[in-house]
Amino acid sequence: MIELEGIEKTYESGSVTTPVLRGVSFRVEPGEYVAIMGASGTGKSTLMNVLGCLDKPTAGRYRLDGVDVVELDDDELSHLRNDKIGFVFQQFHLLQRTTALKNVMLPLIYAGEFPDDAEERAEDSLVAVGLSDRMTYRPSELSGGQQQRVAIARALVTAPEMILADEPTGNLDSRSGLEVMAIFKRLNRQGRTIILVTHDEDVAEHADRIIVLHDGTVAEDRRVDEPRDAEHEKQLALREETAE
Amino acid sequence: MRLSRIAGEGIRALGINKLRTFFMMAGTIVGVAALVVIMAVGKGTERRIMKRVQNFGPRAMMLIAGGGKDMPPPDMSVTTLTLADAEAVRNAIDGLEVVSPMAWRFQINVKHEANQYQAVVWGVEPSWHKAWDWYPVEGEGITDDDVATMARVCVIGRTIQRELFGDRDPVGERIYINNVALTVQGVLEERGTSGMGGDFDARVILPITTAMRRVMNVDYVGAVRIITRDPALMAQQAEAIRELMRERHHITPPREDDFRIVTAEIIAEIARGTSGTLSMLLVALAGLSLLVGGVVLMNILLISVAERTQEIGLRRAVGATRRDVFVQFLAESLAVTILGTVLGSLAGFGVSLALPRLTPIVAVPSWEPFLLALVFALLVGTFFGVQPARRAARLRPVEALR
Repeated sequence: MIELEGIEKTYESGSVTTPVLRGVSFRVEPGEYVAIMGASGTGKSTLMNVLGCLDKPTAGRYRLDGVDVVELDDDELSHLRNDKIGFVFQQFHLLQRTTALKNVMLPLIYAGEFPDDAEERAEDSLVAVGLSDRMTYRPSELSGGQQQRVAIARALVTAPEMILADEPTGNLDSRSGLEVMAIFKRLNRQGRTIILVTHDEDVAEHADRIIVLHDGTVAEDRRVDEPRDAEHEKQLALREETAE
Repeated sequence: MRLSRIAGEGIRALGINKLRTFFMMAGTIVGVAALVVIMAVGKGTERRIMKRVQNFGPRAMMLIAGGGKDMPPPDMSVTTLTLADAEAVRNAIDGLEVVSPMAWRFQINVKHEANQYQAVVWGVEPSWHKAWDWYPVEGEGITDDDVATMARVCVIGRTIQRELFGDRDPVGERIYINNVALTVQGVLEERGTSGMGGDFDARVILPITTAMRRVMNVDYVGAVRIITRDPALMAQQAEAIRELMRERHHITPPREDDFRIVTAEIIAEIARGTSGTLSMLLVALAGLSLLVGGVVLMNILLISVAERTQEIGLRRAVGATRRDVFVQFLAESLAVTILGTVLGSLAGFGVSLALPRLTPIVAVPSWEPFLLALVFALLVGTFFGVQPARRAARLRPVEALR
């Protein structure tokens, strides 16, 4: 469970203080699929950094799975990220000249206990994103969509509380984007909590719930009546292509 | 376990960018190779010096006719050193085992049939064999009888044997020196390079009486070889001999001595020459190149940290602590210097082995410089690795990922 209460974040540069988040509160239950939406400059990225325990709020309370994040020091935050959060970034952030399998194993290197079955777990993760035949490929030998799927496999390998995806389709063509969204949907249906940060309403509508940020506060928090089904859309697109 | 996994990440990066790794190592390789070669050459030089001292005789002194401080060529015009001087030394100075006068001539033509060779000719007493610890391996040496009868005999060195007789047995054959016929009655054991750098084996020895009266026609000697019983007393004895000789030759300041005394210690000093200061300079240069290599290493690492900011950000995001990042980059730096040390040592070892074949330089490779270089490399790797590693560790994940 994720609980944010009155989260504020203020940046100071010299004598100028810029408030970016001004009291953000919401809860996300385990197994939810939430999109956080907002135009650029609304504090979306800052909120994502706070949620990902990459940055601490100036004020407010953040409890992740019962742990009071604001109280933790830098090392504890590192361990928390390793244990509970799987990141998916817009730019994939894969290690170049390193195989997909090694990339996926990376978080396990920093785990408190290096699992004996690390390689099998990485393989399972790659299978889960449909890349069983690409394990020994390097990022330069993979398409953008495949690279992002490797990144998702990496996020999955530690079996985290939540997957935090920041504009995961931002660098992808629409078809690869749909593939990635289909994977998120599938993972969510298997019980994984997913938080998607995006500026794009079309992407956000894959989620079950949308939180809209505006000017550093929650402007809107609504259920999506009929979330988009990426898998279905993918099939439709495929059918259209074959028809032509 | 976790530490070695994370250090492994740093070492793995070296394999990924091999050219960069090579540039990081270059300074270390050159520095370590230079260090290994210099130390091998130093050791070779020291060994050569020891051998020369050994050849000269660690308990030996030479009282040589002619003044000056430097080594020969001996001054043949000095006629003041006599058999009586040798006798006086024998009687007046305590603790001497052997006092053996010699008459000598250098560059004398020695002939046998059509062959001839420029030899060193020494007229000696039988005690010469003991004084030089140098005995015939074939035939006989110089005897009291030979000296008493002014016998026309000689004993030759290996080089002379080779040059005049080839593979034939020279004992019983005749050679000619200054038109004096001498019968070869022995061949001396091979001895190598002399304390003065000449060929010990290009030598012919005759009874001292034969040499002085028949061959050289002189009434003076060139030198007196003196062996002490106790090397610790040598300096003191040399000084006593000097006083005695000044007295006998009526030398008072400011007149210079008309003789000089060479000891094993002086031989070592001369052999060492300038090699000491030169090798110090070379070691300093090798150290400097290691240091420059370290600075280059640090710069490349700093650039690498800047280039890999996003990678560092990602590692932080998936759970690396600051310490993990620090360890990774320090491990990379250390691995580079250790690998560079190994490669540099191999290169230096190779050069040390090749040097004696291609040049007159003697080099004796050993494992000590490798250990020294490893210690130095670890210091360089740590010293120059800490700064980049710290910079990497200080990156804030939020900014690094941007």
